[in-house]
Amino acid sequence: MVRTAVFSSACGAPAPAPIVRVVSDSIDLDGLLTRFRGELAGTEDEAGLYQLQVAYLGKKGQVTALSKSLGSLAPEDRKAAGERINAVKRACEEEIAARAAELRSRARQRELARIEDVSAVRPRALGTFHPITQTRRALEQVFGELGFDIEDGPHVEFARFNFDDLNIGPDHPARDMADTFFVQPAAGSGRMVDELVLRTHTSPVQIRTMRARKPPIRIVALGTVFRRDDDATHSPMFHQIEGLCVDEGVSMADLRATLYRFVGAFFGRELEVRFRPSFFPFVEPGAEFDMQCPFCGGSGCSTCKSSGWIELGGSGMVHPAVFEACGIDPERYTGWAFGFGIDRMAMLMHQIHDLRLMFDGDIRFAEQFPC
Amino acid sequence: MLISRVWLKELLADAAGFDLGSIDDDGLTRALTGLGLEVEAVRATGAGLSEVVIADVAGIRPHPEADKLRIVDVSDGNQNVAVVCGAANVPAPGGKVLWARPGAVLPDGTQIGHRLVRGVSSPGMLCSETELDIGPDGDGIVVLPGDAPAGRRLVDFVPAVMDTIIELSITPNRPDALGHVGVARDLAVKLNRAWRPSNRELPECPEDPGLVELRAPDRCGRYLGVAFVDARIGPSPLALRLRLHRLGLRPLSNVVDVTNLVMMQWGQPLHAFDRARLRGGKVVVRTARPGEPIVLLDGRTLALAPDDLVIADSESPMALAGVMGGEHSGVAADTTTLLLEAAWFEPAGIRRSARARGCATDSSHRFERGVDHGDGLTQACASACALLQEVAGAKPVAHCYPIGSRPAPRIIDLRPARTKLLLGMEVPQPEAKRILVGVGVLVDDADAARWRCTAPSHRPDLEREVDLIDEIVRHHGLDRLPMQAAVPHAPSRADRRTRARADAVRGLADALREAGLHEHVAFAFTRPEAVAAVVDDTPNERTIVLANPMRGEASVLRTHLLGGLLEAVAVNLARHGRAIELFEIGRVYRWPEHTSGGGPKRVADCCAPAWTGKTSAWVAPKDDSFADGPDPEPIEERTRAAVVRASGSADNTHLDARSVAADLLGALLRLGYRARTRATRRPVPWLHPGAQAEIVRDDGTVLGRYGLVHPEVLEAFALAGDHRVAYGELWLEHISERRSSSFVALPRFPATSRDASFDIVLTVPSSRILEIVDHAARLGQEGDDPPRVVRGDRGDGAIEIIDDYRGEEVAAGRRALTLRLHYRAQARSVTDAEVQAVHLSIITRVCDELRSLDPDVRTR
Ligand SMILES: [Zn+2]
Repeated sequence: MVRTAVFSSACGAPAPAPIVRVVSDSIDLDGLLTRFRGELAGTEDEAGLYQLQVAYLGKKGQVTALSKSLGSLAPEDRKAAGERINAVKRACEEEIAARAAELRSRARQRELARIEDVSAVRPRALGTFHPITQTRRALEQVFGELGFDIEDGPHVEFARFNFDDLNIGPDHPARDMADTFFVQPAAGSGRMVDELVLRTHTSPVQIRTMRARKPPIRIVALGTVFRRDDDATHSPMFHQIEGLCVDEGVSMADLRATLYRFVGAFFGRELEVRFRPSFFPFVEPGAEFDMQCPFCGGSGCSTCKSSGWIELGGSGMVHPAVFEACGIDPERYTGWAFGFGIDRMAMLMHQIHDLRLMFDGDIRFAEQFPC
Repeated sequence: MLISRVWLKELLADAAGFDLGSIDDDGLTRALTGLGLEVEAVRATGAGLSEVVIADVAGIRPHPEADKLRIVDVSDGNQNVAVVCGAANVPAPGGKVLWARPGAVLPDGTQIGHRLVRGVSSPGMLCSETELDIGPDGDGIVVLPGDAPAGRRLVDFVPAVMDTIIELSITPNRPDALGHVGVARDLAVKLNRAWRPSNRELPECPEDPGLVELRAPDRCGRYLGVAFVDARIGPSPLALRLRLHRLGLRPLSNVVDVTNLVMMQWGQPLHAFDRARLRGGKVVVRTARPGEPIVLLDGRTLALAPDDLVIADSESPMALAGVMGGEHSGVAADTTTLLLEAAWFEPAGIRRSARARGCATDSSHRFERGVDHGDGLTQACASACALLQEVAGAKPVAHCYPIGSRPAPRIIDLRPARTKLLLGMEVPQPEAKRILVGVGVLVDDADAARWRCTAPSHRPDLEREVDLIDEIVRHHGLDRLPMQAAVPHAPSRADRRTRARADAVRGLADALREAGLHEHVAFAFTRPEAVAAVVDDTPNERTIVLANPMRGEASVLRTHLLGGLLEAVAVNLARHGRAIELFEIGRVYRWPEHTSGGGPKRVADCCAPAWTGKTSAWVAPKDDSFADGPDPEPIEERTRAAVVRASGSADNTHLDARSVAADLLGALLRLGYRARTRATRRPVPWLHPGAQAEIVRDDGTVLGRYGLVHPEVLEAFALAGDHRVAYGELWLEHISERRSSSFVALPRFPATSRDASFDIVLTVPSSRILEIVDHAARLGQEGDDPPRVVRGDRGDGAIEIIDDYRGEEVAAGRRALTLRLHYRAQARSVTDAEVQAVHLSIITRVCDELRSLDPDVRTR
């Protein structure tokens, strides 16, 4: 830290010259001022200036010493001598201040003449979220704004919640559609091997939610699901989002409107949503839903394979058998549900073609998706 | 399911008076898709074959240069040419062959022209079935019957050569669409045409009650058995072979081809037995005896179970009913007598058999979804009888049509008002009725508010009112649904804890990401060795094992995140040399502690009925109340946040495990948790014994641990044991929500610092020394507002370690640990002298305390 000479008053100056003689001789006072000016011109920095100030104006400085010696003078001489000394003192102070300002100005110029090239920069290392997390968060945000609560459930699920209560009975051919991982019961537990499964979809969250609370229900469940499938577009583990709305008077038109609003909010542009009839045991009527391609707006591009449409997922009106399994009166309440793949959505948005890249943890893959 | 457009056109013309020619392939695709019959692929066939004509063989000459080639003189009626041919089956003069003239383009893209074959110019070629893609036979050229007209183009002789084959993906609720008739019927309704049902009669022949013995009437609802004589087994006519070939089936012999063709038409699998090989000349429909053997057509020998339904002769099973025929049950070249089977088997039983025996066939696929037990079955059988007479000369001589328990016609009430409510759209009632009648539903709308509907036997999926509503909207068009949100947004009802937990996870992830870490998502299942390599407090018997893993090695659910992150480290090390900084927030899985496996009792018990059969009928909850609280999780699933840091180069000795702890502590601070670290009370064997510690909450709850990964664990994950990898994890069950902090007044007076240095053995952890200093600093000092040590991590100046010296100035195995303490009084400035006095008293106390851990401890 640089101390400012002008306002400092610390001690430690060299011993002063003999006083009495000097004061009585006015020429010596002029000589002192001349000496001071010579030394002042030689100062080059704040420290030198400070030393000079101490040497002349400090407690034991030469000018101060003169002031102190006034007492030894005859009273009639004191006033004139005092005025002269004060004039010298003021002159010293002013000249030190002026020199200080000059030195600061020179230092400022030197500083500004310095070239510090700051033109090449690397960003501070900021990590990344997995594309699935990014997509998941974006979905949570949009559905949150549309008034949905976020739910999740266990990954290892009762087969009953994953299948039976969703109207997929033990002999139902639809169990072919989801090639399921079963959990080996622990020895001696007396349990059947098909009692616990890795959930094949997020739909059991529908069951858990409807068993736990009364309508009206508006939820989305996002999470990990598992199927026995493994290639460039299918992974044995992937992620789904499921939406469920149950209340009195809920219709399929409401479902279509909600999907339309979601797609518009998620992609930030008006995109049509269309239904194609399909079959899922836990909804009736059931439909797959497509959206207009957000990349070309429906005119056709490589992402939508020139069709103008992108298949998103499945949807439909909650099957009365599902309501019955959950203890909800299917005459009083109606509801709809939809679901689609988060990974697929992430791949779509980032043009990732091989799903397997998503799960091997290569940081060079991660760095491509900073947000 | 492959569909032939040509065949569809024939069926629509016959049964609906509709000319499919008015709709192009795109329009047809759209119509099918709009019906929920998803089009997977569309393929045009026969486009380049217009220059393939029927030619007369006039003579055969040897090729001058090649023994295996011959020169065949053929004529198409207009021109005589000499074609070089390598086939061995060129018919004698007068025989009819297919000649691809110059200008023809074969399905594989070959352009036919004049070609020099071993010095002889050949205008075009004589073709085999495979070259023309009209059949599976590539061994020789196609030889047509002698009455085939020379000069006729192939596409005129067999128009179905030019076809469009549409691959449909049929959802499991639509067994009727597994035949061309079902698809055509659906299209007719969509195209607003009335469908005229076929009414072919079963053959007139005497009944023989001994022909079929139905001993399992609960498993077989209907069995049509017809006996034939005088069958002549041989190849089918070209048109029939072509149709099967186009639909992906291999033509075999005329009788088998007929059964397959009828299956593709009606969706009804048939089986033709050689009656002469049936002992007793009859079939018995029964369940198998335990262990009863059968050799199937595919050569496999099975030991049957009593749940398997079989078609037996008087002695032993000849077919696994509805799934696959037995090795000797079918027709052979010398067969003359037949027993044709057209049956309805109970779907669930067929499914169990097919699943248990690992045979999914075209037949089981249809039976387990439910074929038509009514008119469709009759029509399929009648069609097959007619075709057997036509192509194999077989004469029906006896029949037997026993009946078992058939599903009763389903009566469903449909309320038009309900349709409107569910769809949010009004479908005009005449339109709704037309659609239902069109798909085969009998509609009695005497009560306009409640139509009494009877579902047809070919639509087993129509069970309830919603199924009829689905039919209506499917045909009326889902694109007509208005986009209206009838329901206002309801306020959030989510469980507060659920939201808090999600929020905490999000906050942790944000902080870890901002620490420069990349998020990794690893598989939840892994190799058993990967779990075993990280033995924690999870004993092996609590590991979740998959009953049917995909690949043998990934057969258990992970019990820790370390393995997945180490695998990612290995992937990165193998691919590049950069620093590897990863985090993952994910679940780990194990059986709960209180059971030996299988999950909590409550839901497990109520699960039981689901396995005994149908789901029970709905019973309204007594007081409309709901279960108290959410259902339990079947197993224990815990969320972990884990961080791994490793350098990408061999020079990694600078890597300090404290870096990951700093990441985790920072993340915890983000959630309002002021956690600290301390030496591990119970060290884990998978971390370096000298470089591990734990993270604890202020109340002493352990929140996680960190350290350098043990070299042997690294080796278990194919990493070099001397490569340093720092790992840390947090257990989120103790971090369920953000914590808010309350304000503490800011210090008004400056603090003065003093250092203290201890010469002490390395085995006393620095966290322990800090604890002792902290404890000593808390003890009271004399006087009014004495200088106190500034404690904790709030504000400026916690107790800091400023130097940790190990080297020449201390003995081996010891360190000089220098701490800096900051002193401050509450309401005044402190003097050097009083601080010095307090500092000395604290250091003296600390030394006394440390002496119990290291008798040689001294201050420096
Ligand atoms: Zn596009």
